[in-house]
Amino acid sequence: MTHTNVPLDPERLPRLEEAPLTPVSPRLAPCQALQQLWRWWLLAVLARLVPLSEPPVADWQGRLAVGIAVLGLAMAVLAWFEARRRAYGLREHDLCYRRGLWVRRTQVLPLVRLQHVETLSTPLERAFGLVRLTCFTAGGRGADLVLEGLPAARAEAVKQHLLARLEAEPAAPEEQAP
Amino acid sequence: MTRDAAGEDGLAEWQRLSPWAIGLTLMTTGVSLAREHLPLLLAAGAGLAVSDRVGLREALLGGGLLLVVALLLSLLYYRRFRFRFDADALVIQKGLFVHREFKVAAGHVQQTSVQQPAWMRPLGVVQWEVETLAGEAASISLPGIRCELAEALEARLGGAASRSGPTTTADEPPAPLERFAITPGALVLHGLTSRSLMVIAALLSPLVRPLERWLHDRLPQLDLWAWLPASPPLAVGLGLVAALAALMLLAVLAAWWRFHGYVLRDDGERQVQMSGLLHRRSLTLTLRRLQVVEWVQTGPGRALGRGYLVCHQFGAMAGGEVAEARRFLVPGLTAARADTLVPSLWPGRGASPSLTAPLQRVAGLYRRVLFLRLLLAMVAGLGLLAGVAGDGLAGLPAWSPGPVLMGLVALAAGLAHLRWRSLGWACRGDWLRVRHGLWGRRTSLFPAAHLLSLRVQQSWLQRRRGVVTLRLYLASGRLSLPFVEERVALALANRLLASVEGEATA
Repeated sequence: MTHTNVPLDPERLPRLEEAPLTPVSPRLAPCQALQQLWRWWLLAVLARLVPLSEPPVADWQGRLAVGIAVLGLAMAVLAWFEARRRAYGLREHDLCYRRGLWVRRTQVLPLVRLQHVETLSTPLERAFGLVRLTCFTAGGRGADLVLEGLPAARAEAVKQHLLARLEAEPAAPEEQAP
Repeated sequence: MTRDAAGEDGLAEWQRLSPWAIGLTLMTTGVSLAREHLPLLLAAGAGLAVSDRVGLREALLGGGLLLVVALLLSLLYYRRFRFRFDADALVIQKGLFVHREFKVAAGHVQQTSVQQPAWMRPLGVVQWEVETLAGEAASISLPGIRCELAEALEARLGGAASRSGPTTTADEPPAPLERFAITPGALVLHGLTSRSLMVIAALLSPLVRPLERWLHDRLPQLDLWAWLPASPPLAVGLGLVAALAALMLLAVLAAWWRFHGYVLRDDGERQVQMSGLLHRRSLTLTLRRLQVVEWVQTGPGRALGRGYLVCHQFGAMAGGEVAEARRFLVPGLTAARADTLVPSLWPGRGASPSLTAPLQRVAGLYRRVLFLRLLLAMVAGLGLLAGVAGDGLAGLPAWSPGPVLMGLVALAAGLAHLRWRSLGWACRGDWLRVRHGLWGRRTSLFPAAHLLSLRVQQSWLQRRRGVVTLRLYLASGRLSLPFVEERVALALANRLLASVEGEATA
């Protein structure tokens, strides 16, 4: 087993903070807002329709349902703004995805770790012409990076680029099959 | 091993399981079914109800019929199960109703396991299992093959893996070198300091209520009062000490059962461990697949200066400490001994840093955040407790909330400080070390290039204070470095990403 350990100059390393990011499709915002509304209003309807006989709880049932519906509306507004801030970046050696409103998260997946890529979409996402790109690595227990909010054509282009990169990438010595 | 030599082991031809495998399959399936369903049948009385309903003779006849069907199915399973080596890939065909074929490339094997329970020894058969890069979930087992065949499989996989590796070894590999052998004293200390104590306590906890009931019913008749001390607190204290001593004894016995005669051998590009009192177990770790080494010290372990190493590979199953017992462990080590062992797990990578070398701490703001979180949780818990107690607290003096709150503040401050101090990281050369844990501590050591992906996370407060939380995703799971200065965290992230790319293109 051979190993080289060339020293790196920290000043000359590519900077994650300077990675150019592209905003996701603006159609993701209404899509996310509708998803939130659907979830919370379903909960509100359930809260209203569940038969309760105990007087103090039953009296508050309607108000509880209205409260949940209002909370759902607030969550939908937040989801709208959060979706507008999402962005992704495809660099030569990695894929970045930034999301979050209150807590901002930037996920970076080195392309050499990529094992396979898949695209999927829910009926609501299809109605907005959006596709989700899911990236998996070798050691992960599930998807390692889920890139939401790409237009179908863009998602396909990114997927093809990643697949071409996977095929062109010579397997790392330790990953070479016999 | 040359190709001709490899052909001499007969593995190029289809091989079958040992005929004893039929009985072993029946027995293991029967034991597994009994373990899962017998308590339910006996405890709920369902078994008696069924036998009363259909009659004992009919129930026995039904059981006999089921046994015959199980025997026939086992025979069919045995006939369908075969395996052989095709070039450097192990091909396995099996399946009762659905025929399946598995191909395991030798270069993708990360661990093999050979197990021989006591009742298998006279028969000369073992259970052999192989784990690939897909992890434990995709491991494949040969349930009952002859010992010689298992040895040939190990040799063939080892030889093929060496050929597919980045370097070639000499024609004749050197004899395995013994790296570590556990002593009886170290085994006892491992039992006392391992997590078995807690696991055993959790397993036995359902027996507490029946035992309490039995003591309540029987104690007056047993005339044990004469033996018990007159003082109730002393009696309770002695009872607790006795329970703790019993748990410690069980934990030591569990360590002896699992790690008796533990030997770690260096077999070139593989490390082989053998252990077990009655249930002998041999694990072979392919070093090129090793991702993270973890140095674990429990609270008692830190007091007694003992710990153990856990070798993590791809695809470790969830399940925390219980699942950890199935991994490649090196038990009963002192920190100094662990430091001497770690370089042999990463051959060709140069000197790894000491597991106990000083670490860099995260920002002091994390301590304040922890303090506030803990204090809020404690005050909320206390409020809940007071709400539940209701009028029961009416008798307390009016000045009592003050000292209680002061105590909570002191406790939260102490815990927050200890937790902040326990968290640390260091990046030296191309190695990264991360330590966490309050009483028990875990130090993960890995080459920076073994990172799978990373996440930089910043809340509103963190953005204002210029700190970030760095989450590192590894084959063994996730490591978190909260509240690291933004400039430092981003420099570390950039360096890790460059290492991953650099190693892949090297």
